[in-house]
This record gives sequence, structure tokens and C-alpha cells, in this order.
Amino acid sequence: MSEPVDIVLVYQSLLGIYGDRGNAMVLRSRLAWRGIEARLIEVEPGTPVPAGGAVYLLGGGEDAAQVSAVRALTADGNLYRALDAGAVLFAVCAGYQIAGKTFTVGERDEVIEGLGLLDVNTRRGTERAVGEVLSSWTKPDGTQSLITGFENHGGFTYLGPDARPLARVEIGIGNAGDGTDGAVQGNVLGIYPHGPILARNPELADHLLERALGHPLDPLPSEELDELRRQRIAAVRKAGLRR
Amino acid sequence: MGAMPSVLSTPAVPASLSRPERLRLWAAIRIGNAAALASRIAGRGSGASIRGQVLTRLAPDAFAQLLQGRRVIAVSGTNGKTTTTHLLAAAVRAGLGDAAGRLVTNADGANLHYGIASALSEKPAADIAVLETDERVVSDMIAFADPELLVLLNFSRDQLDRHHEIKALGRSWRLALEAAGTSGPVIVANACDPLVVWAAQTAARVVWVETATTWNADGALCPACGTILRRSARDGRDRWDCPGCSLAQPEAGYRVDGDRIVLPGGRMVRPDLHVPGSFNVSNAACALAAAVEFGVPVAGALAGMHTVTAPAGRFATAAFGSTRARLLLAKNPAGWAEALPLATSDPVILAIDSVAADGKDVSWLWDVEYEQLAGRTVVCTGPRAQDLAVRLTYAGVDHEVEPDLRAALGERGGPVDVIATYTPFQRLLKMAGLR
Repeated sequence: MSEPVDIVLVYQSLLGIYGDRGNAMVLRSRLAWRGIEARLIEVEPGTPVPAGGAVYLLGGGEDAAQVSAVRALTADGNLYRALDAGAVLFAVCAGYQIAGKTFTVGERDEVIEGLGLLDVNTRRGTERAVGEVLSSWTKPDGTQSLITGFENHGGFTYLGPDARPLARVEIGIGNAGDGTDGAVQGNVLGIYPHGPILARNPELADHLLERALGHPLDPLPSEELDELRRQRIAAVRKAGLRR
Repeated sequence: MGAMPSVLSTPAVPASLSRPERLRLWAAIRIGNAAALASRIAGRGSGASIRGQVLTRLAPDAFAQLLQGRRVIAVSGTNGKTTTTHLLAAAVRAGLGDAAGRLVTNADGANLHYGIASALSEKPAADIAVLETDERVVSDMIAFADPELLVLLNFSRDQLDRHHEIKALGRSWRLALEAAGTSGPVIVANACDPLVVWAAQTAARVVWVETATTWNADGALCPACGTILRRSARDGRDRWDCPGCSLAQPEAGYRVDGDRIVLPGGRMVRPDLHVPGSFNVSNAACALAAAVEFGVPVAGALAGMHTVTAPAGRFATAAFGSTRARLLLAKNPAGWAEALPLATSDPVILAIDSVAADGKDVSWLWDVEYEQLAGRTVVCTGPRAQDLAVRLTYAGVDHEVEPDLRAALGERGGPVDVIATYTPFQRLLKMAGLR
């Protein structure tokens, strides 16, 4: 019997304002439903981050929480060690911003150093991006998969040469209204739609798991999930850019 | 009963306006009333909202003018505003006895500028106003109404697609109280909520209430300095303080202990409430503290609160065909955390929508512990029933999906518990003839 797969939910009290716990629950369940033993490990500041996780998750939060999270994760260091050992980091919303090189907080746009795991920089945007978002992600096999989610962010994120966009935006703002959303660099993936984005996008969830485990997973068809995706994709396309 | 306490009987004289102002306001109220009547005849609800809109269109200063000269008690916070306002209004009415007609309140929960103006315009002579106030209107209330008392209940994540940052609301309260200075209102505030405590810190005087708060997920960081707050148990009660600065949970005058309220001085009373849940004992403790501050004797306040049964339809039981349903409102994760343990029926019906009044983003479904429903069947209804269905699959809870609200209620006999977000809750009240 192999070791259980650990899904590590990082600092939910700081970065979990949009139901971001949902992503961890989805990953654990999708392993369990395939008969793979998985544990959901929650870690809070003050306790060492486990170094042996397979997937690490960062969620959304407010300015002060972002600063506290960066400080605690940098001091702890185990997230860096885990990624060096091949773990996957999936960061959304404010978590995506802090995974980058720099971001800003407060009314005076104070520049804060991030975790430096993604070659991206975030600055105050020209408008706040709030609403349903639809984008297209190219899977490892070259086929396209639609990503449906909800974004809510005031920062715009600009990619450097070492990061490439995770998805192409059809409807919504994404990184900076430039037609892209998210970033990938090695085993680190970030994107703006927060919270239970993996609930609405099971192919992305399974991609993270396959990357962390190093082997493909059996398909897990669900009419219920397909219906949710149909509804959300139809709703955002109907509302279109007027959202 | 002896003479009423002087502070309670002190009369006030509403609105001393100039003659043109008075005429303008009078005309606006008349036209607003006509619009409300038309709305009622057309079967579109009470008309309070349209009356308020007409009023503020024709007399833009109506909100400020109608508040002038009244003795105002305002109630705000993310959850429990409507119920607390009803409890407090009932307590003050009981204290006023035969003079209960002096009181005006926005009982329907219309708590924005025009909703408040609408309620006030209906009772121009009432000199005591107990007003539910939206979190975003609190600073205007402090600036324009010069309230005697302000009850601050709690802050938690709610409609983040509109509010973005919870802390910004707390900051607006803090600045308004700072500006009001020593002539500002006496605050009755929840000592367990760090953001409420920080917001109320600038007030001249605060009566603290230690509530039975269970939702701490939005109080991780010190609102003053950003340090992670420390939570510890003392005498079996949870307390918080900041390791980075001097902010700490204040010693409270009133304290909730199970289904009882400990008064300043240590006497315990049991509020014999007809609204369920420990959350409402906390609301009652805040209402009681405010009523006593206003001069209502404890016994009278408790007797008044005892009469409150279904504030603006919350906790009402209604018939839908053969189905008898108890209606519970939950608007955000903290509200769901309180409402879910109250819903004990099997099946239980959960109604989810995502128009502006509900919050357009239903990510919060993943902040609610639906896992506790395992073993029962959930009927998912409302426009976002499918989102709930997927959430319940991951929670391991049996469910069926029936997006149509009327069909979901079915012909079940009863009683069945329904928990709904704002918009389906209003629809249920309308279907039941409760509004």
C-alpha cells in the first residue's frame, strides 16, 4: 500500500475568503473516488508547513492577509523545499498575486515582495475585475478545455519571460484585460478565478493531480458536473461582456 | 409600575424645517404614498421601496431631514440586523406602554437611505426611531441623525462581489465615530468581533456585549496592525487579543451564557424568546443592553422581546399547498452556520440564487459545512441549484435538484424546513402571502 497523497491547504484563515477550501476538497475527493488514499492537511501560521505534500493550495484574501502570508511562508521555507522536491502549487486570486515577484497593497500602492515562484508582477488595475469569467486552457495533449469561474480582483498581473499564460480569456478581464489569465512556470500554476474553480473545472483539477503524481488518472465522468458547466458557460456567454 | 424613567419619556420634536423645505418634503411624501398605493394595487409588494425612491428623487435631503429632531437608535452589522431591530423596537414599545405610538421602525428590513426615509415619512409625528441600517449607511446615519444609540452586531464575509473588503466597512464606521467625537452616539457593540471592537474604539462610550459568536473566520488578523490575533480560553470562554499591539477583547458589561444573559452586576436573566437559536440569544443581549441604555427596565424589555415571533418573515411557518414549511433566511457563510443546525427536517429544502441582492458569486457555498446534513436528503432549488448539487456531492450528502421553487416545495405535508438566500426568501414570503 502506498503512502497517502497529501493535499495541503495553506493558511486558510488568511487566504480563504472566497470558499477557497473548495479546491482542496475537490482534489482530495477526486483521488478518493478513484481509490487513491488522500489526506487534506490544513496548516495555519505558527505551525510548520508540511514538506511532503503533493499539491499545495493558496486562496484569496485581503491586503493585510497577503502580507502576513508572504512573511510566514518565507520564514517557514517548507513550501520552497516541497516544490523543489516536485510538488505542485496551485494559487488563485490573492494567492496568485503573492506567488509572483511583487504586488501592491493599500491605498498608496505600497510594493511588496512576493514569494517569487512565478515571474509575474501585480499592480493596481485600471478597473476592478468582478464577475463570471470564461477562458480556454490548452491541455497537455494539445486539446482545449474551457475554464469557467468567478474573478474579483483590483490588481492587474503582468507576465515576465519565464512565465507563460495559463489560459486565453474569452469573457472577463483575467490578468490585465490583455486576453490572458493566469501563469504557469514549472510546477507552479496561478489564475484569478477564485474559490471552487476546481469544482467547476474537473479537467484542471485532474491535471494538477496527474502532474503531482506523475501518472495519468482514470476518467471520472459526472453528468451533474457536466450540467453545471453547461449552465455556467451558457450564462456567461449570454451575459457576455456586459457583465 | 412606577413612573417611566425620565430618559425614556423625554419627548423630541421631529424635523424643524423651513417652510419651503417642509412643503417640498410634504409634497414628496404625498406623491411617494400614491406610488406605494399603486404598487400595492398592482400586487408588487408593500410599496416601501418605491415610496422611498420617489421621496429621495423629489426631496434629495429627505433622509437627513426626516431624521432631524428624532431620538434615533440605529442597528447594523452583517447578520441579525432585522431580528435585533424587531427585538429592540418591541422592548422600547413595552417600555413606552400607552405611548408606544411614539415609536417608528423600518420593520420590513428596507435599510438603505430610501427605505429608512420611507419608514420615517409614514409616521411623521413619531419621535423615537429604531432603525435597521445597512452597513454602508452607518456613517451617514452617524453624521445626519445624531443617534443616541448605535448597536453594532458583527462583520463577516458577505456579498464580496459588491463590498470587496470587509475591513473597509469597519474603517468607515470608525472614521464616522471619530468625526462625531464626544457628541457621538453611545455604542452597544459585540466584544467578540475584532473588527467591530476596532471600529467602535473611537466612540465616546461603548457598552460591550460578550456574545456567543461561532464564526471567527473573518477575524484572523488584527484590524489595527495586521498581526495574527491570538485566541485563548479563559474561564471556559474564548477570548482574543493582539500580540502585536494593544487591541484586545474588552471586558463586557453584558454576557451571553447558553440561553441566558448575564447582566452588569452578575444577575442572570433568561430571555424567553420565540425566535430560535443561540445566535438570537446574542441578538437579544444586544437589544436588551440598548433598551436598558434607553431607559427601559429589564423586565419590560424582556416582556417586549417575548412578543417577537417572525421578524420580517424570518422563522415564519407558512402553508404552500399541503406543505407546511418553516422559512429560514441565510445570506452568507456565518448566517448558514447559524441556520443549518436549526433546520432539522428530512428532507430539507435549500434555495440558492445569485442576483445582486444575493451576491452574484456563489463561491461561499464552499465555506458552508453542508457535510452536517449527511444522512438526510436535500432538495436543491433556485436558479443556482446545480452549484449546490455539486457542492453536496463533494460533501457526501444525498440530494435531488428541482430548480423551480414551487415544485420543490411539492405536496409534502410537513413540517419541512426551508433555508433560502435573500431573493428566494422574499419569493417564499410573497407566495405565502406574508408580504
